[in-house]
Amino acid sequence: MTTDAMALERGYMPGMRVYNLKLGMWVFLLSEVMFFTGLIGSYIILRFAHPTQFAEPGVVLNVPLTAFNTFVLICSSVTMVKAYAAIATGDQKGLKIWLLATIALGTFFVGIQVFEYIALAQHGFVPMASAYAAEGGALYGSTFYTMTGFHGTHVTIGVLCLWFVLWRAWKGAYSADSLGGVEIVGLYWHFVDLVWIILFTIVYLI
Amino acid sequence: MDPQPAQEAAMEHAEEHKDPPYFLVWGVLFILTILEVFFAFTGLPKFWIATGLIIMALWKALLVAMYYMHLRFEPRRMWILAASPLPLAVILVIAVLTEF
Amino acid sequence: MSTAEAAIGDRTAAHEHVDHDIPFIRKYVFSTDHKTIAKQFMFMSLFFLVVGGLLAMMMRWQLGYPSQPMPGGAILPETMAPGGILLPEFYNSLVTMHGTIMIFFAIMPLLVGFFGNLLIPLQVGAPDMAFPRLNMASFWLAFPAGLLMLASFLVEGGAAGAGWTSYAPLSASGEYTGVYLGQQLWLVSLTILGFSSLAGAVNYITTVINWRAPGMTWFRLPLATWSLFITSILILLAIPILAGALIMLLFDQTIGTTFFLPAGGGEPLLWQHLFWFFGHPEVYILILPAMGIASDLIANGARKPIFGYHAMVLAIIGIAFLGWIVWGHHMFQSGMNPMLGTTFMVSTMFIAVPSAIKTFNWLGTLWGGDIHFTTPVLHGLAFVSMFIIGGLSGIFMASTPVDIYIHDTYFIVAHIHYVLFGGSLFAIFGGITFWFPKLFGTIMNERWGKIHWVLTMIFYNLVFFPMHSIGLQGHMRRLYDPTQYEYLEPLQPMNVFITISAFLLIAVQLIFVVNFFHSIWKGKKAGPNPWNANSLEWTVPSPPPHGNFATVPVVYRGPYEYSSPESDEDFLLQTTPPRDQQQPEPHATPAPEGA
Repeated sequence: MTTDAMALERGYMPGMRVYNLKLGMWVFLLSEVMFFTGLIGSYIILRFAHPTQFAEPGVVLNVPLTAFNTFVLICSSVTMVKAYAAIATGDQKGLKIWLLATIALGTFFVGIQVFEYIALAQHGFVPMASAYAAEGGALYGSTFYTMTGFHGTHVTIGVLCLWFVLWRAWKGAYSADSLGGVEIVGLYWHFVDLVWIILFTIVYLI
Repeated sequence: MDPQPAQEAAMEHAEEHKDPPYFLVWGVLFILTILEVFFAFTGLPKFWIATGLIIMALWKALLVAMYYMHLRFEPRRMWILAASPLPLAVILVIAVLTEF
Repeated sequence: MSTAEAAIGDRTAAHEHVDHDIPFIRKYVFSTDHKTIAKQFMFMSLFFLVVGGLLAMMMRWQLGYPSQPMPGGAILPETMAPGGILLPEFYNSLVTMHGTIMIFFAIMPLLVGFFGNLLIPLQVGAPDMAFPRLNMASFWLAFPAGLLMLASFLVEGGAAGAGWTSYAPLSASGEYTGVYLGQQLWLVSLTILGFSSLAGAVNYITTVINWRAPGMTWFRLPLATWSLFITSILILLAIPILAGALIMLLFDQTIGTTFFLPAGGGEPLLWQHLFWFFGHPEVYILILPAMGIASDLIANGARKPIFGYHAMVLAIIGIAFLGWIVWGHHMFQSGMNPMLGTTFMVSTMFIAVPSAIKTFNWLGTLWGGDIHFTTPVLHGLAFVSMFIIGGLSGIFMASTPVDIYIHDTYFIVAHIHYVLFGGSLFAIFGGITFWFPKLFGTIMNERWGKIHWVLTMIFYNLVFFPMHSIGLQGHMRRLYDPTQYEYLEPLQPMNVFITISAFLLIAVQLIFVVNFFHSIWKGKKAGPNPWNANSLEWTVPSPPPHGNFATVPVVYRGPYEYSSPESDEDFLLQTTPPRDQQQPEPHATPAPEGA
């Protein structure tokens, strides 16, 4: 039983009708929306302003590999939500298995991204590169690495948080009545997935 | 406006979330991703490709938010909260785009 | 209110900590108590307020007595002021750091970090913030960020010199300003401060939404809390944009990306848009809490309910929303799309409507009131009057043709100081005096408080009002040496006058400092409710114990029911039940002082 539940029992105003931790995570995610708006918005604006500095889809970036990577991240969202569904029915073993699966898929995603970065860098596509632009300028590399890099950082932080939740799950910290930690790490994880869905479409396909 | 006792709320919570078709959503997301990749290389005019892709991406994003982030099962005030930054994001990008 | 009544008498055992059980370091250094964190924020930002003030004094010396040795300037190193004469590069750093420190490390943490932490849990009736440890992290991110900002004075090349707005490309490459590491430290420091503000905002929003005491409906919240809540939303959504822009600028500086560098194909105008998309909500972050605080002070001083409470709340929300669609009015001179410029001009002028609603409501509150001219009320009145001047000059500037003439002149400097110093800082002085009992359990000395108020009002106006005039006559902002332009020479006596007034202005602040520290140790002990105010913080002892409320308070009414016929006193605590529901048995409400 959390302090929030105690607060509810004592008759605090209903507010958002969700517990504090979850509301806090949602509020934090709103700020994340604005953060990625800044990065993705800058990309859209710069690309609109200087279209010749950007390559057509599939010319520089490896679309099939990244499409597969998108699939990996979507799968990790399913495993995450299954972990939550497991603990919601009190299934401790299911929670741990699905969490492990999520961690594995998340790590795999970051691994593929690192592999992709290395391959791109070997072909001369780096943040300050102008080699791939029809016209001089490094905007393509600048925006690409900043956006995907910050997304990758978010995934990495997510994986670390998942390890923490798994460690707590191992100690039996969660139950059907007390699953706040699993739920909020799930919210964060799905949000990162959601950002990738937008990012993949805008950066790789358009 | 009476706040429910926490345990009752938690149980209600658990029952509500037994049903959502997680794997069905996953399947739709998978199919949409494949569709997106093929649609991107159909050779249609750039405008239509961009529009179609953005619609599909938003559809996918909405599915994730609705089912995996459980927004569908939250009170309406939560929807308002979750949607609040979106107009600002649109205002920023559209306004600055008119500069170029 | 059945559940609310059920809550009466329910002891909050979880929060009945005993103060002296907590080790020193957890109690005063790494504390999770919102009141201690509020004090930490207060001391930190008052320190930065002094630092920022001293930087301004150096600038004023240079403007009043160009290229003459500054008294005491000999202690500055050769790289800043050889022989006490300020170097132009150092002057650029002074301008930049004065703005940055005052906005990000003095006014913003004072209003949001200090008042937010102190008032929100007390006024909504919560035992603490929703996430006390996150709250602690918020302070312990802000403090190192401030130290980092100060440290940038000591690195090679000096502190950042591209203005507090850090316009690219000037800021994007060290070649232009000669500042490399200083600018990077500026960027890193503000990014860290951004995390701190976000942590705070998440906390405040969650606390206000979810931790309101039973009966504390949205329209029973004091306006200070309302404005802090709306401010938190602005912080939450604006700071990430700044963080993204800062990081892109940092990449431009360090790893060779070209987001804002036209030489590499980037767009300097994009920086301006991102910065002001954050920057204009930031302006309201700096004034909205002051408006809320002033409303509390004025209603308390006039002994009348606030005039048009609902209109006040809606005006706060309206200002906050309009704040998102007006950022372009900072960029009329940037060569932006004229159609966009007109849109921004019109939307900016709309802000006059909610601002005027608030101003008239303050006047309506005072009208016919039995005004008690205590120090906090005087500061509240100063806020209103100075805000009117600053707000009116803001309407001039909203008009594109006028703005093109006065852009980047001292008229703008006068405007921002009328709003930020005359507005926010007076409200802060008033707020500190008003809530001093809740911080230290004593009352600040009234006589010295009033003397400080009078002298500050006089010298403040002597400093900043003439700036309107010299600005209209073409005196540029951020100008190192006004005597180098022939047409500015007639203005030089005015510059000397402003400089002398500024020295006197900072000198009289010593009264406040002495009064502040003297009152902590020697001040008159305060009861729970020395000002006969109504909101929840006045139902608990001064200073409130750990956990704030012995029992969860139950709220029956709004916060501004002064001089109500329901009461024999001229105030009615929010916890006082209506007459027909009053029971003889004791419960959450301690007896008001003297009752």
